[in-house]
Amino acid sequence: MKLISESEKETYGFAKKFAKQLQGGEVLCLIGDLGAGKTAFTKGIAAGLGITNTITSPTFVLMKVYKVKSKPLALAHIDAYRLRAGDELLHIGAGDYLSDKDCITVIEWADRVRDIWPKDAIKIGFKILKGDKREIKIKTSK
Amino acid sequence: MPKDNNLGIFVLVYMIIFSLETSCDETSAAVLETCRGDFKLLSNIVSSQIDIHKQYGGVVPEVAARHHIQNIIPVVTEALQTAKIKFGDIDLMAVTSGPGLITSLIIGVETAKALSYAWRKPLLQVNHMYSHIAANFYQNKIQFPAVCLVVSGGHTEIVLLKNHRQFKKLGQTIDDAAGEAFDKVGKLLDLGYPGGPAISKMADQFSDRMQFPKIALPRPMINSKDYNFSFSGLKTAVLYASQKIKNKDENYQIAMSHYFQEAVIDVLISKTIKAAKNNKVKTILLAGGVAANKKLREALKSEAESNGFNFFVPEFKLCTDNAAMVAVAAYYLSEKKKIKLDNYKRIKTDPNWELV
Repeated sequence: MKLISESEKETYGFAKKFAKQLQGGEVLCLIGDLGAGKTAFTKGIAAGLGITNTITSPTFVLMKVYKVKSKPLALAHIDAYRLRAGDELLHIGAGDYLSDKDCITVIEWADRVRDIWPKDAIKIGFKILKGDKREIKIKTSK
Repeated sequence: MPKDNNLGIFVLVYMIIFSLETSCDETSAAVLETCRGDFKLLSNIVSSQIDIHKQYGGVVPEVAARHHIQNIIPVVTEALQTAKIKFGDIDLMAVTSGPGLITSLIIGVETAKALSYAWRKPLLQVNHMYSHIAANFYQNKIQFPAVCLVVSGGHTEIVLLKNHRQFKKLGQTIDDAAGEAFDKVGKLLDLGYPGGPAISKMADQFSDRMQFPKIALPRPMINSKDYNFSFSGLKTAVLYASQKIKNKDENYQIAMSHYFQEAVIDVLISKTIKAAKNNKVKTILLAGGVAANKKLREALKSEAESNGFNFFVPEFKLCTDNAAMVAVAAYYLSEKKKIKLDNYKRIKTDPNWELV
């Protein structure tokens, strides 16, 4: 699936709708340059799941976990920006979330940790077009 | 520990506090002597791993954890030796249990718990962000209420303090922390890690006489009604601006560092002053690793004082991560309650422990 987002707001709105289809256990692998819309997308996913916390960048601590209040679901927000390989994520316990059926995992800069992608990972690519325009490409491996 | 006197009144007379801090890449232990709110720092040993992590462009959690394990016992021993005390002299222990990197935090927390059990000394857990704020209480008489701008690699928050231990978060970054923006822009400009000191050093070389066209950068959320920040867009703006510049020489690095730092500082100061005015405080405080930034210290001090507020910022060595601030924080947290000997059983690391 491919779509064009005209603004950060639109990316956020699309992710919010996209989140409604998620059931748990999904791993969303976000790939794209600085400013391509990965964080806006993640904020949208959180909003779509009904998470009211402010979603701040996990670059520094690598992983932040948020509880979904209405359902027995959690959102694990991972940032691989500083990493070179997936085992660094496994060392901080990310593996528990990747394989958890009650957890939705979002990995920003996922191209840096390809070695830990599960088989059914959902790959979401972001490309900067002109100005605020972005191309978002979603590929499920099913 | 607090002692009951004959009159049955709870009085704090004299206390030795021993503290540990391992939330990120510094292993630190300190000994603080306290007497009715007067502090004397007997030792504050900090073993930094910065040179190790430089080559990776950021702190690598597993590498940090391994070094914490190697360093922690020598650092503990050195802290006691420098302070010329034995473990029997300690009245209270304190440890940072969050927020931070889980793999780093756990080394300090588990060491502290083991020592608490072995030494038979009560142990208190302390929030890392509160410790940063409390660094301001060391040898300063603060007039309350106060607002504190806390800026570090992982956090950017404005906190309202009613007194030494009652506080409320007024606002925070909604995406990247200020320190993180410095690190990412440092990387964009090829200045290496950590970005903060590198950018600040570059920006110092800037002068208006430089033959470099002005780079206009946004001041995200500067006019929003809340006390929140956003630095993600500013980093993107730097990226866009840098794409337009063909000749990426040292002058470009200097100019971009200057304009970027100016944009960050403008927003930080504007929101802090607004929070101070709207909450009718007496004092403005600055804390956290980014508080070591010379320009930010000078600019906030001058802006605070010209608006009639008292201003405090910890000395440089108490701004970056250290155990002394943990001990000061523990003093105030223990002031009104007795910490039980078996409190260590209830202490757990919490990498996302938020100040509320």
